[in-house]
Parts: sequence; structure tokens; C-alpha cells
Amino acid sequence: MATSAVRSAPASQVAKGEPRIRVRGLGKRYGTLEVFRNIDFDVGEREIVAIVGPSGCGKTTLLRCIDGLLPHDAGEIRVGDERVTEPIAGVAMVFQHFGLFPWKTVFENVAYGLRMAGAPKSEIERRVPEFIKLVGLSGFESAFPYQMSGGMQQRCGLARALAVEPNVLLMDEPFAAVDAQTREILQFELLHIWEQRPTAMIFVTHSIEEAVLLGHRVIVLKGRPSSIHETITIDLPNPRTRDTLREPRFAELREQVWGTLMREAREAEFHLER
Amino acid sequence: MAEQALNTAVGPAQKTQTASGALSGAFMPRVITGFAILLTWELVVRAFAPAYVAKPTTVILAIPKVITEPAFLQALGSSLAAVAEGLAITIVIGTVLGLLMGRSTTFDRIFRVHINFFNAMPMIVVLPLFSLWFGYSSAARIATIIFAAIFAITMNVADGARSVPREYLEVSRSFRSGRLRMLTDIVLPASMPYLLAGFRLAAGRALIGAVVAEFFLSVGGIGYYILYNSRSYHHNEAFVGVLLLAAFGVSFELTVNWATRRFMPWYRRDEKTT
Repeated sequence: MATSAVRSAPASQVAKGEPRIRVRGLGKRYGTLEVFRNIDFDVGEREIVAIVGPSGCGKTTLLRCIDGLLPHDAGEIRVGDERVTEPIAGVAMVFQHFGLFPWKTVFENVAYGLRMAGAPKSEIERRVPEFIKLVGLSGFESAFPYQMSGGMQQRCGLARALAVEPNVLLMDEPFAAVDAQTREILQFELLHIWEQRPTAMIFVTHSIEEAVLLGHRVIVLKGRPSSIHETITIDLPNPRTRDTLREPRFAELREQVWGTLMREAREAEFHLER
Repeated sequence: MAEQALNTAVGPAQKTQTASGALSGAFMPRVITGFAILLTWELVVRAFAPAYVAKPTTVILAIPKVITEPAFLQALGSSLAAVAEGLAITIVIGTVLGLLMGRSTTFDRIFRVHINFFNAMPMIVVLPLFSLWFGYSSAARIATIIFAAIFAITMNVADGARSVPREYLEVSRSFRSGRLRMLTDIVLPASMPYLLAGFRLAAGRALIGAVVAEFFLSVGGIGYYILYNSRSYHHNEAFVGVLLLAAFGVSFELTVNWATRRFMPWYRRDEKTT
């Protein structure tokens, strides 16, 4: 595992805090198919870790294990002091296909997590509008998901996750199903929201650009079964803005991640040809 | 951000014309066909049948007399009350059984074969048995209604519960829902379209069950009214009863359609969101 902290500009020294998530020697198999093995990494209390890898490398499976939705076969996951074997409090997930309930309004969808956590009615009525506002959906409280665009639906999904005030956010390719412009808007809004309410965040994506823009570190998964190939520290100044995209350093890092991934892809192809 | 959201919002008032669509279009051909059927009936009866055989003109003339007749109103009330009662019991038991079968393989294994067995049985063959158990009474009629209707609901709800999108269940688990709450909060509403389809089927069968039970068990009701009047050569009166049953079936269908649009506006529109 090569950690390449190329430059240590003061701006890149994020106050990550203590590790919130600790993943040690994690392995997962589906029957005879081993998905990944020996996964080790930490995520700080106020740190965004992006995970990239070729399709089918098990990024989403890894995230589901960390959420406790899937059992793992080796190693352990700790969130705070708790060992994860099933979904635990304080961890919330944003789903690739939004996972909104079509029979619930925006309000009820956002309230869902709070209701499951047993929050009293008064608290729900106070907090839900607050989070609807935070993601820019004010005025759409009584709209149904089918009445909204993909971008708005994912705002709703984000509000639902944020409403339980988690200290860990798990993002499963959350912007993969929205169009390119909306995706860019949502990326910066997510950063903006994160600045206001920093949490430990794991952001799974197949977009290298997105990983470099959002992540304080980028983990590259590779191989079959996959494992961590490289962890790249993204020493870009924070907070990241649209200007970040124009920095030479951004392009450099993007190329570095790209190179790592492509080398892997080419090797895989080479392997197939033989 | 809010403006952008507004621009991409889709109005809820679309697609309302589909409901009336079934009634519009090819209007004149339909009316003409209807008249042709009635005219043929009228002419054939006039030419070849004795005077007491019902024909459209005499049936129409009998309507005012029949629908103000206390015996008829009582019969109608009795039948409809029995159908309503039977359906209410059916929905509760059928839905619970269906949900359990759909979400638990154990329950499914235990019940499926028996339900298929009973479902394959023509409802008429159980009537002698029911008359022994419950006597020639309205209890036997209720039992027949339930027997006729329940499997349509159970099988449909079980199918619905089995095909709840996996993502909904994952979201629910991720937010730490208990098993029972998942059943009531997620599986039941997600199965609503199936429940409604089953309910339509069940309502038709319940009506048949009521009439058949009245025929065979001589329980007072609309079925018995029709039987009694045809046997005493009051064919026109009997026919008014038949028409009313048909009208009841049609108005039930319309009510269910209306209620679906009114209370489940999301139904059949959620497809385009993913």
C-alpha cells in the first residue's frame, strides 16, 4: 500500500480528528467468489475518503458491509467503539438509486429515519423542514418522488440521511444516476453542507474527477479479488470550490489516479488476452 | 437552487385523462352495438316467446316498481351487507396471510400447497358442507363469500410482498427498522397495487359467492330474489335484479379506480423515476 503524500501544503492538513471508522483485514466472498480481501483503512471524524475502482471491483459491496447491510467474512469493522455486524445508529447511507419510497411525500421520506429512531413527533416536525431547507427542497414537502427530477430526488435522499444527524455518511455513487450538470451542482452543495456539518464520509464513485474533488484521500481498489492498491492523499486546499477544478494540482492528482486505475485496467486486459 | 428545482419539477396534474380514456373513443359504434343487441333481444322474444318472457321494454317498465318494492330493497341490503362484511374479513385475514407468505419462506412452504388446493376447488362444491356446518343461514353465506374471495387476495398480496424492490428493504434496514415495522411501513404499501388487483378480483368473487349461496341455501337476498321471481314467472322483476348486480360490479370498479387515483397518486408513476 503506497501512500504518496507528494506535497504537504499547510492547506491540505485537514483536521481529520480521531479515526471514526476502522476497517481491519476485511474480506468478503459470495460463495466461491472472493470479492475483496485484506482491506485496511481508517476514516477520521471529519474526513472524506473516496473509493474508486473499476466496475465490479466490490466498491458498493464494501460500503454495504460497512453499513452492516451485508455480513463480512473476515476482519472487522469498527465505528467508534462499536463493531459492525448489522446497521448501527449514527451511520446513514445515501443510495445510488435514491431509495425513496414512492408512496411517501418528501416530508415523510425525510422523516423516515427519524421515525425509525423513535424521535418524538415534535422533534420530527422541527427537524424535517430544517433538513429539507438545507438541501434546497423547501416548498416541495408534500411532493411525491415521481413528481421530481432525479437531482431533486437525490436531494431528498441526502436530507433523509442527514436528518438522523449521523457521524458517519456512506455515499454509494449518489450522483451516478443524475445528469452531468446536476451532478456538478450537487457535488458542490454536498461539500458546502459538509463544511457546515462535517462527518466521517466514505464516498464510493466510479468518477475519478469526483473522487479527487471530494476526497481528502482517494483509495484505489484493484484486482480480483480486489484489495487496496493505493491510497492517494489529495493535498488540495479546503474548502474545495469550483476554482479547485482549475488548479494544476487538481489535474495532476486526477492524472495520478487515472494512471493507477488504467495501469490496472490494461494489465487486466493483457491478462485476458493471454 | 430552488429555482432550478422548480424548473425541473413535473406537475402532478398529468395523465388524468387515462382514466376517462376507457370510456371515450369509438363512442358511437358502442352505442349502436348496444342498441342492436337490445333490439335483437326484443324482436326475438316478441316473435317466438310467450308474453311472460322478459324483453328490454318490459324490463325497463318494471324498474320503477321493483326498486321501490320493500322486499327487493331488503334483499339488496341483505346481500350487500353480507358481501361487505365478508370482504372486510377477507381483506384482513387475506392480507396478513399474504404478507407472511410473501416475506417468509417458512410460511410460504407451510401454506402455499393448501391454498392452491382450496383455490382450485370450485366454490359450489363446498356449499353442502357449509350448509351442514352453519345451517341454512346467513352465516353459511358469509363463509361462502370468504371462501370465494380470500385466495385472490392472499395470492396477490403474497406476490406483491415477494416482489418488493430490494432497495426499499435495504433502505429500511439501513435505518434500523424492525422486522414487523418493515412489514407494515414498507412491504404493505409497496404491495398496495397487488392488494388492489386482488381486491377487485375478490369483490367479483364475493358477489358471486353471495348469490350462489342464496340460490342453494335459500338465504334471503338479491340472489334469492332473482331465483324466486324467475320461478314464479316474474321474469322482468328477476331481470331488474340481474341488471342491478351488473351495475354494482361496474360501479365498484369505478370506485376502486377513483380511490386509486385519489389516495395512491404515486401508483403507476413511480416507474419513470428510476
